[in-house]
Amino acid sequence: MPHRAAAQDSVAVAPARPERARMARRYVRRGVRMSVDAIEHLVGGLGTAILALAAVLLLVLVALASVVGIGLPMVPSAAKAVRLAANRERARLSRWDRDLPLPPPVPTGLRGVLHDPWVRREAAFVAAHGTVGFGLGVLGLSLPISAVQNLLFPMYYWVLPPEAGGPGFIDWRIDGLPDALVVGLIGVGWLAATVALGPTMARLQALPGRQLLAPPRDVDTSLRIAELTATRAAALDAHAVELRRIERSLHDGAQNRLVAVTVLLGAARRAMVRDPARAVEILDRAHDSAELALAELRSVVRSILPPVLDDRGLAAALDGLAAGCGVPCTVQVDVAGRCAASVEATAYFVVAEALTNVARHSGAASAAVTVHRSGDRLHVSVVDDGRGGASDGSGSGIGGIRRRVEAHDGRFTLTSPPGGPTTLLVELPCGS
Amino acid sequence: MRIVIAEDDALLREGLALLLRAEALDVVATTDSPTTFLAAVDEFRPDVAIVDVRMPPTHTNEGIVAAVEARRRRPDLAVLVLSAYVEQAFATDLLAGGAVRLGYLLKERVGRVEEFLAALHRVADGGTAIDPEVVGQLFARSRPDSDLSRLSARERDVLALMAEGLGNTAIAQRLFVTDGAVHKHIRSIFAKLGLAPDDRADRRVTAVLRYLEDAQRRS
Repeated sequence: MPHRAAAQDSVAVAPARPERARMARRYVRRGVRMSVDAIEHLVGGLGTAILALAAVLLLVLVALASVVGIGLPMVPSAAKAVRLAANRERARLSRWDRDLPLPPPVPTGLRGVLHDPWVRREAAFVAAHGTVGFGLGVLGLSLPISAVQNLLFPMYYWVLPPEAGGPGFIDWRIDGLPDALVVGLIGVGWLAATVALGPTMARLQALPGRQLLAPPRDVDTSLRIAELTATRAAALDAHAVELRRIERSLHDGAQNRLVAVTVLLGAARRAMVRDPARAVEILDRAHDSAELALAELRSVVRSILPPVLDDRGLAAALDGLAAGCGVPCTVQVDVAGRCAASVEATAYFVVAEALTNVARHSGAASAAVTVHRSGDRLHVSVVDDGRGGASDGSGSGIGGIRRRVEAHDGRFTLTSPPGGPTTLLVELPCGS
Repeated sequence: MRIVIAEDDALLREGLALLLRAEALDVVATTDSPTTFLAAVDEFRPDVAIVDVRMPPTHTNEGIVAAVEARRRRPDLAVLVLSAYVEQAFATDLLAGGAVRLGYLLKERVGRVEEFLAALHRVADGGTAIDPEVVGQLFARSRPDSDLSRLSARERDVLALMAEGLGNTAIAQRLFVTDGAVHKHIRSIFAKLGLAPDDRADRRVTAVLRYLEDAQRRS
């Protein structure tokens, strides 16, 4: 476009000489900038292509090992290596122009990895980028280097013996300046090729990444939507269950106590006339009932969002839980700063529920709670040395933990072989 | 008056029994679940049952179900349902079989002992006692195109008090008007709701039920 605009200008009004010189300078500057950009991209692409090549080699090795049968357990790790290479390219392309979002974590199981659309597309990407992208990168790097070498050759040809030839593929005898200038001319050719082909090569090199590393379209988007819908529904479900619990404890607890207070007050007023001593006795009961109402209100409020979380943070709140746990329990919290309130509350309830399970069902002698944050994920683990065998269906709070964690788009894993130990791992996006 | 109480909250159950016994009423049994309540109805042949809506096992509408079942077994049993909050679906379930010897009150009304005892006696004597809150909510939810929307504000007041189970004289006293004026309003209500002048007592109940049906159609 700028070319055409410039051409039209020159037809419409013949620009003055300084004006034309200015335009020419601008044109050259633009060309230089584009070439330099292209070389930069090609070199950057070469970097990720080397990673992709390594990933391809690893994939080939794992595939060969899988044929023999010993490679299958290595598939998830290989997928993670592929993911590493793909994410470097994503970061590179995001810096370049279009933002490429990071995919969800690589699934853990073999089956999950093999069926994950992201992993499949990333495998295709490393195959393309590790070969064609690598080649383009090498070419993109060698074109400007050759250009510089050839262009500079006339200046230093005389220090070399004539039969040594020129740089690169030039292996003929260099006899004197004319021959050297021919080599320099070839350098001009390289330079022209760099300027002309560089941007196209850079775009070509980025193509597999742009095509394959973007969030999968159609089917895969709908998968993600389905997943989000499910977790959102789970969030609403968990929310509704929670509201139901609060509603019930308010109705059947505090409200009933207060109704009892009004009933007793009414009775006391009636008794006042007939039997003042009896009235005092009834008032005593009304008083007790009012105090009970207050106590129940306090416990309901505490169960909604423990005030200790707000006041002193997750670490202190979990210390409190551990202190109240029937089984000796250590707590290690390594979280800089605060997470979103809902995340902290979820972590708190996960630990509370897990420790209740430990105390009730595990028969453990000790338990350990650790919480740490890496990146934007909060990792919570509760380990006990009990008899194991805990599962979703055993009527414990495990199902509740799972739902609550999934509602936050987190991950939940429970390892509890018969005989123990039981390890409960929860991973929550921090949301901050 | 022989009374059976069904209320799962121990404090409230004992408080109610204490209150009623202090008024020289005969509380023959206190129960804490629908099953024990129905057994007590069979065993003690009470005149009145006071039933909490929320009872085990699910704490939703067990009380209503139990009350309906008790009335099926003993059609002459007066039932006063106590509820922690107004649920118009409960009211309509309960009143589906007619509003005679039936009451539906918020729990806290019990504290106003005189009014509560009046409602209890009214229900026991074959009347109706519907909580002003229930009636108010039904008014608020009536459809703009229903018969009810054609009533004037004063007629609504009269109908609301009728629904609470008050007689003409009591309504006149509450609204600070003459008996004659109340008569006039009631005639107008019957006319607007299209109730033929046959049995006067039934028409009062029908007018009240019209509210409930109206609210139920809406929901």
